[in-house]
Amino acid sequence: MDPLTRGQALARLAWLAGGVLAWGGVILGRLVHLQLFKHREFRKLAEQQQRKLIEIPAPRGTIYDQTGQPLAMSVPMRSVFVNPLRVPDLSVAADILAPILKLDRAQLYERMRSALRNRRGFLWVARKIEPEKYERLRSLSLDWIEFQTESQRHYPKGATAAHVLGSVDHEERGNSGIELGLDEELRGQSGALRLLTDVRNRGIESELSAEMVAGANLTLTIDERIQFVAERELRQAVLDANADTGSLVVMNPHTGDILALASFPSYDPNKPPAPGESLKPRLNLAISAPFEPGSVFKVITISAGLETGKVTPDTPINCGNGAFNFFGRVIHEAKRGFGMMPVSDVLAKSSNIGAVQVALKVGPHAMLEYIRRFGFGKSTGIPLPAEHGGWVRDVKRWGKTSIGSIAMGHELSVTTLQLAQACAVIANGGLLVRPRLVLLRQRPGGSVERVPAEPPRRVLKPETAFAMRLMMEGVVQHGTGRRARLEGYSGGGKTGSAQIFDFKTRRYTHTYNASYMGFAPVTNPAIVVVATLNGTRGTSGFGGAVAAPVFRVVAEETLRILEVPKDVPETVPEPAEPAEVEDLAVAELSEPAEGETEPVPVAAVQPAAGAVWGPRAPDFAGKTLREVVEEASEKGLTVRLDGRGVARRQEPAAGSLLAAGEVIRVQFAR
Amino acid sequence: MDWPLIVIASAISCVGILQIYSATHGTQWEDAWWKQIIFVAGGLLLMWIMTAIDYHSLMGQVPALYILSVVLLVGIFLVGKQAFGSRRWMPLPGGFHFQVSEFFKLVLILLVARYLTELRSERPDASELLKLGGLVGLPMLLVMRQPDLGTSLTYVPILAAGVFLAGLPMRYAVTIVLVTVLLLPFGWFVLKDYQKARLVSFLDPERDPRGSGYQMIQSKIAVGSGGIWGKGVTRGSQTQLRFLPVPHTDFIFSAFAEEHGFVGVVAVLALYFVLLMQIVQNAQTAPDRAGMYICMGICCLLLFHMLVNVGMVVGRMPVTGIPLPLMSSGGSSTLTTFMMLGLVNNVRLRRFVN
Repeated sequence: MDPLTRGQALARLAWLAGGVLAWGGVILGRLVHLQLFKHREFRKLAEQQQRKLIEIPAPRGTIYDQTGQPLAMSVPMRSVFVNPLRVPDLSVAADILAPILKLDRAQLYERMRSALRNRRGFLWVARKIEPEKYERLRSLSLDWIEFQTESQRHYPKGATAAHVLGSVDHEERGNSGIELGLDEELRGQSGALRLLTDVRNRGIESELSAEMVAGANLTLTIDERIQFVAERELRQAVLDANADTGSLVVMNPHTGDILALASFPSYDPNKPPAPGESLKPRLNLAISAPFEPGSVFKVITISAGLETGKVTPDTPINCGNGAFNFFGRVIHEAKRGFGMMPVSDVLAKSSNIGAVQVALKVGPHAMLEYIRRFGFGKSTGIPLPAEHGGWVRDVKRWGKTSIGSIAMGHELSVTTLQLAQACAVIANGGLLVRPRLVLLRQRPGGSVERVPAEPPRRVLKPETAFAMRLMMEGVVQHGTGRRARLEGYSGGGKTGSAQIFDFKTRRYTHTYNASYMGFAPVTNPAIVVVATLNGTRGTSGFGGAVAAPVFRVVAEETLRILEVPKDVPETVPEPAEPAEVEDLAVAELSEPAEGETEPVPVAAVQPAAGAVWGPRAPDFAGKTLREVVEEASEKGLTVRLDGRGVARRQEPAAGSLLAAGEVIRVQFAR
Repeated sequence: MDWPLIVIASAISCVGILQIYSATHGTQWEDAWWKQIIFVAGGLLLMWIMTAIDYHSLMGQVPALYILSVVLLVGIFLVGKQAFGSRRWMPLPGGFHFQVSEFFKLVLILLVARYLTELRSERPDASELLKLGGLVGLPMLLVMRQPDLGTSLTYVPILAAGVFLAGLPMRYAVTIVLVTVLLLPFGWFVLKDYQKARLVSFLDPERDPRGSGYQMIQSKIAVGSGGIWGKGVTRGSQTQLRFLPVPHTDFIFSAFAEEHGFVGVVAVLALYFVLLMQIVQNAQTAPDRAGMYICMGICCLLLFHMLVNVGMVVGRMPVTGIPLPLMSSGGSSTLTTFMMLGLVNNVRLRRFVN
């Protein structure tokens, strides 16, 4: 064969060059594709694996009482977690962790193993552990034991003001009380940290992508000292009277400041409810449980009479000697009958017939008008969750005897807080002042700001209010409220007892809601106190007997704490002669009406819907296994399933509140 | 002297050193950049030596060099240093290690050049081809056994370019290509498991994104996220956060593409292109066929390295572990490359001899 000619050699070179160019072209094209066209996509991919967003929860605001005492605060706590994928030996890890954290070894091992199986790189071992446990774990200096600082809500005064403060869940979100009511303000805004991580997930660089805004600090109108007295006295009174529950409100009538708000039974907000524990103590009865007020409501009836000019304190009223035929029903007094007596005595002696007579003079429309003006039938707007506005029926739904019932405080329901609001109208000279709970709000970095009070609304002329004050002083001096007489202070008030309606038997029972609402001193009242005990029994369970003494102690101590000067010489203790306390309103004038929005006479404790927050057990009845599992996982609930077929039984029952992490057992059958 | 060649090679080396510094600062290979400076300096020195000795006398030593190389390659199995699962390095006094398979490329270039110039026939025929194939095949097999498939494959273009340009009849060329293509599937059974995995993940990187597909995916992300202008020196997040594996050796081009973008990539590729054209020009002006074979062999070898390495970086070639000449950090590779450039210079210097 001949050697290659120059032309052939060039052709071969061209062949080579061609192949190389094709190959190079592919690579160049690829570079263009990657770097120019798909650039955004790859940049996103790079960021995805390099950047991590970490949420920094904002510290929750502190809640103070009026005197600056902290009532709720957040303290940092350590939580332990491991990355099961990085733990060298799960069994050894369980051996080390379980004894220090006092955990069940087998359970911990199983948890870590299942996390490993699912290739989960994060597992909480224990959350919010004690500092000494943290120190012991830290001193081991094992790099696979990792810690995270979490914040834990702490209520330094324990159960004091529990119902006002409420509580938080394990993620520090409010779930009741002011913690829920003003959750957003207290919580602030959590920040976000954009973390640049390397291939081993170590943070290299961090930048703040969202500024954290700490929660606002709140100063409440509550005075911890008064709150303490109020709770102590309420508790004692409920136990002494053998009652079921009770509530109490202490309020400044001029500003509406709630100085104390107590509900019994109570609870310690530091402790989350145990599974199966009754949640009833967590209900704030002072705002969530309306009741028929009974005779205390005669204050409203007579105020309306005075304000409309139908009666004066001296107008004689025919009290019919203890019996009054009212549309075929005979109204009696609580004990003995009265003849003719002035309006002031109607109030002092708590005459049922007298009150009805006054209401009849006022007329239904004006009566309702004044009931509404006094703030009944509508929530007060206090920033606490689950406030009930009570029930007040419209005139067109009144029966023919309703005006009589209402005059005596039946056929409508009120809350203790509403009574305090109404009593403040008389105490402050005729203005409806909205109750206020939050005094100051301090946003981080911002100055302290006063929470503006709503402008008051006039309900009564000042002279009417003053006349009412004097009449209510009469109740204390020579009426049913003698046990509410204060040492060194003048005071006025009204007692009340209302039979509790039993919805099961549809009858009024012989248990009572016993209440006392009052103010002191008379000339320029500094405080209003309303105490209600639910479920008292017999004559000794009337408001004048059981609620008035609560008023006396709480009011005396409050006035002393507030350093209100004494206005009357200290008196010698009451003579042994028993005070007349009979003030029972007639309940059976008409059966509590039924209707779509009823029941009006809200007896005993009817918790308002959603009074306590939290997950509720769904109704699984009749659902298939698959549906149950899907629904549960959607709602984040844990279920334990048994049997096959459709769900027949469940525990806890549908609609009941679930404690954190509570397991719902569902029994299936064909 | 071919100054443009030296200047361009030095420029590429500087870019490489900068990139090595950027990719390794703060890592366990922190000292790689100044080591590379020493290698480049040593390379320039060796280049000068390779230029000084007439390539004809070098070709005269081919049989001795060949036998020495084969002995060394065999010796590696006995005393070689193991790293990353294969024995490639021969320990030298002073703590250095030297990769015989890299230096063997030089011997091979000289061998092919000499063999083809001393053919008895005008064009390589079948028996000559088989003999030459055997001479190249033995060290190839030895390197393959190390195992170092990538380096052993780089011997192929030297041989192929030589015989093709020497006038291998077209029908032989076509036959060889066909047979190779037909035999390729059987090569599968010869491959080690990790090599199979690399091949599979080249075809489908998402199959095992944390394992064998990892390097390919991360490299593509690095190149793609670089964009037109790149992220800047020491600011390539893929590189700096260690998502990119070995960013100073095999994947240095990926790190470079991330930090300097498409513009930087095109600039560096242009430098390589000029360098290769310079070598081709030297091949054309070579005083004899031997000089031409030497230049073209070197040109094809460097081209092969570039195409395979850059192809791998952009996901168009499987991961083979072939470094990018002049840029990748590594003593043996750098020194060998400069020695090859020295050979090219050698040929150029003697272009007016006759």
